[in-house]
Amino acid sequence: MTAALELKGISKVFGGTRALWDVDLDVEQGEVLALLGENGCGKSTLVKVLAGVHEPEPGGFLAVDGRPVDLPIPTGAASGLGLSFVHQDLGLAGPLTVVENLVGSSLATVARSGRRISWRREVRDASRMLLSYGVGVDPRAVVNDLSPVDQALVAIARAADQLRQFREQTGAASSVLILDEPTVFLPEQEVEFLFDLIREVVASGSSVVFISHDLAAVRAIADRVTVLRDGRVAATTRMSDVSDDEIVELIVGSASAAALDEATAPNDLLDQAAGDVRTSVRVTGLTGGRVHGLDLEVATGEVVGLAGLMGSGVEDVPYLLFGARPSAGGRLEIDAATVDLGRHSPAAAVALGIALIPADRRRDAIAPAVSVAENMMLLVARRFSRGGRLRLGDLRDTADARAESLDVRPRRTSVPIGTLSGGNAQKVVLAKWLEIEPRLLVLHEPTQGVDVAARAEIYRVIQRATTSGMSVIWVSSDFDELATVCHRVVVVSDGRTAGVVDRSRMSPEAISTGVYAAARATTESSLSTAEKVPQ
Amino acid sequence: MTSAPTETRQTSSPSPGQSGASPASHRSVGRYAEQAALPLAWLALVVVFSIMSPDRFLSTGNVSSILGSQSILFMLALAALIPSMVGDIDLSLGATGALAAIVVAVLNVQHGVPVGIACLVAVVVGAACGAANALFVVLLKTEPFIITLGTGTFFTGLVFWLAQSTTIVGVSGQLADWTYLHQFLNVPVQFYYCLLIMLVVWYVARFTPIGMRALFVGQSREVAVLSGIKATRVRVGGFVIAGTIASLAGVLYVGTTGSAGPSSVDSYLLPAYAAVFLGATSIQPGRFNALGTGMAVLFLATGVAGLQLLGAQDFAQQLFYGAALVVAVTVSRLVRRPATR
Repeated sequence: MTAALELKGISKVFGGTRALWDVDLDVEQGEVLALLGENGCGKSTLVKVLAGVHEPEPGGFLAVDGRPVDLPIPTGAASGLGLSFVHQDLGLAGPLTVVENLVGSSLATVARSGRRISWRREVRDASRMLLSYGVGVDPRAVVNDLSPVDQALVAIARAADQLRQFREQTGAASSVLILDEPTVFLPEQEVEFLFDLIREVVASGSSVVFISHDLAAVRAIADRVTVLRDGRVAATTRMSDVSDDEIVELIVGSASAAALDEATAPNDLLDQAAGDVRTSVRVTGLTGGRVHGLDLEVATGEVVGLAGLMGSGVEDVPYLLFGARPSAGGRLEIDAATVDLGRHSPAAAVALGIALIPADRRRDAIAPAVSVAENMMLLVARRFSRGGRLRLGDLRDTADARAESLDVRPRRTSVPIGTLSGGNAQKVVLAKWLEIEPRLLVLHEPTQGVDVAARAEIYRVIQRATTSGMSVIWVSSDFDELATVCHRVVVVSDGRTAGVVDRSRMSPEAISTGVYAAARATTESSLSTAEKVPQ
Repeated sequence: MTSAPTETRQTSSPSPGQSGASPASHRSVGRYAEQAALPLAWLALVVVFSIMSPDRFLSTGNVSSILGSQSILFMLALAALIPSMVGDIDLSLGATGALAAIVVAVLNVQHGVPVGIACLVAVVVGAACGAANALFVVLLKTEPFIITLGTGTFFTGLVFWLAQSTTIVGVSGQLADWTYLHQFLNVPVQFYYCLLIMLVVWYVARFTPIGMRALFVGQSREVAVLSGIKATRVRVGGFVIAGTIASLAGVLYVGTTGSAGPSSVDSYLLPAYAAVFLGATSIQPGRFNALGTGMAVLFLATGVAGLQLLGAQDFAQQLFYGAALVVAVTVSRLVRRPATR
């Protein structure tokens, strides 16, 4: 039997870094292949090579349904080869109805040659198509009114139906549906509906590549698994031949697997701070977004990392603590002050000495058209005013001095900050917040798009600020970074504290092991409760 | 996730060292050219009109008329500037000014209210119009463009109602004394009122902490909010101040014409925005700023006065204003691009 999809020797280099090394992958007809790996292992790059977004290095081989395909795939040509993708964002127009979305996407592939659209017929066809995959959604419903799981089901059914039409029109024996992290933002209990749909898709004659962080989900649905680590295939095996622990070992590397049990001991952080270090920040019951009752303590001068998979809620924590997103509840104690997080605001956070360096620098942290000096001194403008008059000379001089000490290039602080490189702009953002001498600095992916030299400078400056008592909460998906800068890393899963990696066991592997183990434990417990509910 | 950091790095400038000397110095030469473009264009207008109409264009009377006659436009442009600076737009300002004008006329002529008190009431009405816009746009989070189009139409409705669709004439000459008739250095005093407000706006925007906060609210609202700035307060203030200044434009209109009717200040809305956008290409290119707006008003007033001297008909004024707005917006788009790249 020919393979539905066959990849051989695919490599991809970005600048100096190699994202994929000689990757081989094959998908058999009518199977679900899971593709697993950490952030940055090369999964997304591989998907983008298949979608025609990235051009692979010469020398690779690709065959779909036994027919060799020239690489690179031209942008937009993947659907004509029998490949269909559903990404995390689903690609549905939220304000439109389901049937409008279905008709809209078919306009691109099916020639309708100016015929009047009969909405009655379209609704009937859409309803029949959805039901054939077991999806009981009303085609006249507006997508935004659907639950997240129903939205995912519609998107997947749409992709599967396009593949069915492709097979009917071309007579191809197989086609491949690629699901890129479809379960991340779904409630654990509802993932089961997605599995039913995937089984329907396979039964209808397509193969499925299922990309996920979620081990329990993979266990439930996949026939085989391919694990990528650092851009290479670590292993390909049948699911029945491998245990969950062995998969985690393949994902994170064998050296760290030994640390697995230790790293998951939950909540030993509460007595951590006892001793001679003083607790300066205490968060209790933080709730909002995907965070459900997170507790956290940070000592004076301590750098605490927060690590978790996508969808774990960890990426919401900085904005909830700063009051930038509405929080449903929780309490923040900082030194003597207590804040009800349900009624928090950025202005209140700044007044309490909380600083936030957000992940989306260009949107949230810098005003690109405004000068470096003004961006840097925004928070302390009042310090430069005498009798209501801003002394711009003093402001510039102070900004120049800070730029000098942080090695911001170019030194001229009168240029718009938008002309600086990512690393230099981030140094300015850091300088801006350190100017108020914050008691708590919250960072979200602070070194994304930052070059190596600037990164080292940023680490150094933050480290120096902690010696004068500043506490730090550092949220990052870069576990190497967390292991380098943190005294302690707290693992977050399902919006709660799920474990801790302390200084003595600190390593990137220990953090990823902890993160995967916690995610697995969460999923298993919720899947088992979900099974109990219907009875 | 693999490629995300790489892509981010690609979009930002390649190496920190490179963005140093050469591009910056090129840009500063370009910057001077940008800053000087509008004053140079104005000088060119003056030269051209002086050559074409040598005895009349540069006469004292004409310079005085250029500066004095366009004070209503100047005042309304300053009103339109304020919301623009904080990232909003207010299209109801012309109607707000017209409402203020009719309030002065109705109170003074039909009810015998002293003209000073009538003007105070008109200013309060203007502030209230601004507050109404702020309520819908800022507090109820709607789109300023379409909402102020709606409130503006509503205010115009109020104007017609109060005016009973006729022009009310015979406003106390005291008002004309204090706006149009009194002159200083051969220029009506109302020009100096506008000049004063322009300088105050310039000073506050440039040299005070509140101005710096407003700058960030206008340039990058998310950044302002995440820096603890109460952006809501700044924007509400912007609408209220704009309504207040627009009502002063209405007062100047009544002073200049001695009357108010169904249509008055509202016809100045488009040239006012032309001045605001044209001003953003000058003095501080890429930013809405008061000195630039003043310069732009001078440019527009000179152009219109010159065309009238040359015997151009009324439509020439519309052609000139319309073309200026289109050019201004296009140029400010081109000016902004390098900075926000």
